[in-house]
Amino acid sequence: MTTVSGNLATPSSTPASKIVLATAVVKSWKSPIALGIFALVSIVLFGVFGRDGTSSFRLSSETDFVQLPVLALPTRAAGIVLSILLVLLAAYATWLAYRARRVNLWLIVVFALIFMVGFLSWASAGHTMPVTGLLVGSVGLSVPLIFGALGGVISERVGVVNVAIEGQLLAGAFVSALVASATRQPFLGLAAAMVAGALVSSVLAAFSIKYLVDQVIVGVVLNVLVTGLTNFLYSTVLSPANETLNNPGILPRIPIPVLSGIPIIGPVLFRQTIIIYIMYVAVIAVWYGLFHTKWGLRLRSSGEHPQAADTVGINVNRTRFWNVSLAGAIAGLGGAYFTLGSIGGFSKEMTAGAGFIALAAVIFGRWDPIKATFAALLFGFATNLQSVLAIIGSPVPSEFMLMLPYIVTIVAVAGLVGQVRGPAAAGKPYVKS
Amino acid sequence: MRITSRKAVLSGLAMAGIAAVLAGCAAAPDATKTTAAASKYLPCMVSDSGGFDDKSFNQLGLEGLQAGAKAIGAKEKHVESNADTDYAPNIDSLVAANCNLIITVGFNLSAASLAAAKANPDIQFAIIDDAADANFDGKVDEPNIKPILFDTAQAAFLAGYASASYSKSGIVGTFGGMQYPTVTIFMDGFADGVDYYNKQKSKSVKVVGWDVASQKGSFTGGFAANDTAKSTAKNLIDQGADVIFPVGGPIFQSAGAAITDSGKDIALLGADADVFNTFPTYDKLYLTSVLKGIKTATQAVVEASAKQAKGTFDNVPYVGNLKNNGVGIAPFHDFASKVDPKLQGELDSIKADIISGKITVKSYLSGN
Repeated sequence: MTTVSGNLATPSSTPASKIVLATAVVKSWKSPIALGIFALVSIVLFGVFGRDGTSSFRLSSETDFVQLPVLALPTRAAGIVLSILLVLLAAYATWLAYRARRVNLWLIVVFALIFMVGFLSWASAGHTMPVTGLLVGSVGLSVPLIFGALGGVISERVGVVNVAIEGQLLAGAFVSALVASATRQPFLGLAAAMVAGALVSSVLAAFSIKYLVDQVIVGVVLNVLVTGLTNFLYSTVLSPANETLNNPGILPRIPIPVLSGIPIIGPVLFRQTIIIYIMYVAVIAVWYGLFHTKWGLRLRSSGEHPQAADTVGINVNRTRFWNVSLAGAIAGLGGAYFTLGSIGGFSKEMTAGAGFIALAAVIFGRWDPIKATFAALLFGFATNLQSVLAIIGSPVPSEFMLMLPYIVTIVAVAGLVGQVRGPAAAGKPYVKS
Repeated sequence: MRITSRKAVLSGLAMAGIAAVLAGCAAAPDATKTTAAASKYLPCMVSDSGGFDDKSFNQLGLEGLQAGAKAIGAKEKHVESNADTDYAPNIDSLVAANCNLIITVGFNLSAASLAAAKANPDIQFAIIDDAADANFDGKVDEPNIKPILFDTAQAAFLAGYASASYSKSGIVGTFGGMQYPTVTIFMDGFADGVDYYNKQKSKSVKVVGWDVASQKGSFTGGFAANDTAKSTAKNLIDQGADVIFPVGGPIFQSAGAAITDSGKDIALLGADADVFNTFPTYDKLYLTSVLKGIKTATQAVVEASAKQAKGTFDNVPYVGNLKNNGVGIAPFHDFASKVDPKLQGELDSIKADIISGKITVKSYLSGN
């Protein structure tokens, strides 16, 4: 008995009987090929079709505490140096793949950064690229997307597909403008935006959980409904009394002492309105809550395997209802950014599809709050890059430039994410049998 | 007991949500309003998807229609379109309502209006901001559709000159909603006006956001006053522009927010209406506005067509320009003391020169 168990427990103690596992050598050529193509593009674009002149990068604005000098690069020389770097990185990735080693994520990030610098200097030949302005605008444009994506992540993790993010954003934008104008209290406006988002969400939850209606259909219908409702109310209520009911003002920027003095990062991250600081907290809180608390575990189990959750005593449908409502409240806060955080007034259909991009960010971010945030930031960056390039006179036509953010999204979702698996029970109503 | 009360709360919350949502369906806006009057002539109007409360050309068109109907002592009918697919059905419903004149607002309605004009040769049509020339032969396609056009480049030329004169940084910026000819005609005129200033004064004021030669520039991709428009304006400010001319419905509101946010001394220009009066929130920022006399033009067309003999139709385009006061620029209001004292005199003589043909402002309506 003992000898047998001893043999089983320590098979390696007898070298002669060591079992050599057959390991399949997997060589993944996906990354080297992608990097190689981009390196090739960079050689052609920056080298062969390189533009002459000087590209200047302005790293600080006049109001910054620390003034950085303007970085001036000779465009063609910089392009050639950077494309050589890219080729070397691609070659290194190829070598790694040949040795059947994984291509490190950091390698791809460095590659992407160098490519971006190369592209920016190529596009801004003879002009000045305001780097801080580019990044500040990117963060601003991604705020509603991040809130929307957080709402989407919670909702889908708990098992309800949330196509109604657009409607929740729009409802939040409308109600926050109305309440903040009527009461002259911007914080009441923020609270009202959350209530409005939660209200839209609770309709989605009620129909999909209680009445088992197809969740995607309810979501789409809700979007159309909120659009119509806000258009109608804007025409009949807000528009005739614009000064009293649609004039909430813009929340002030609150610079955080010390941190806002850091060059580049300071103005981008720490000289913002309260909504953006709430957003930082929300991203961390949702991430921590989802993966490190009892609440998160119950939420995820309701979305992954409702039968199992039910068996251990979790009320699946109640968990779903309240968390979908919470998701709506978060998305509604994102809607308030349009009015209170940015423009200072509501206008028809002002969300302009941001909810759908947020939905893409959820999938691109693999249902993870942090990754979804980065996906939303990428989209915001692409949108603002388009605008900056159009102004400094990019060699690309404006119609094509306007497609840039969407192309980035499609390439990102299709190319980088590939096949992903969402929460197993998302979209399936849970009926106790 | 606890469970039932919770259920009651739950269903109550859901019901409140549903009620809020259903409220949208309940009181449908009475799209067709009629005013009591004596004349039997019935002028009608269809908006584009911007709606009649856009504080821009749909609204001005409707005001013109109402003023015209009042002047001839007639009723009027107007229908709002919510989507591009509404245009043809809305026109058909006005045809069925026995309208004598149907005015369609915006070149998006061009195809639908031409089709309706062809199908109903006994009704006078008119279209705002479109040449009604689908086959591009330079002539109006149907005998019963009257294009109402505005050579806004002439007025924007004056605004461009004034901006160049006002600018301290030597950089002025413009951006549009979408690259439509009715939008770029403003930007062309603006840039040409800056050019003219540079030639006259041997200065080198730069225009960012629009290049006349290559017809490329910055556009927000839509006509909503949203964050995209704000960041576009901000990017212009980052390029050093201290005068900004947003062209396209309400996007100037976003530019106003961007200027306030920057804390810098930057002037804003309005388009279509005098925004100093229509949107006073940013009244401290407005240098001037490029005016497009949609209201007066529409009113004139309503009155003229009501006088037409029965069975005769008009397809001669109305082109608003500086000469017939169809376009113009608004007063400087609060900026009157900030601009060069000689500026108004210079603008007056430029205006006279444009009217007399001494200065030609190129645009797709000027014929050269």
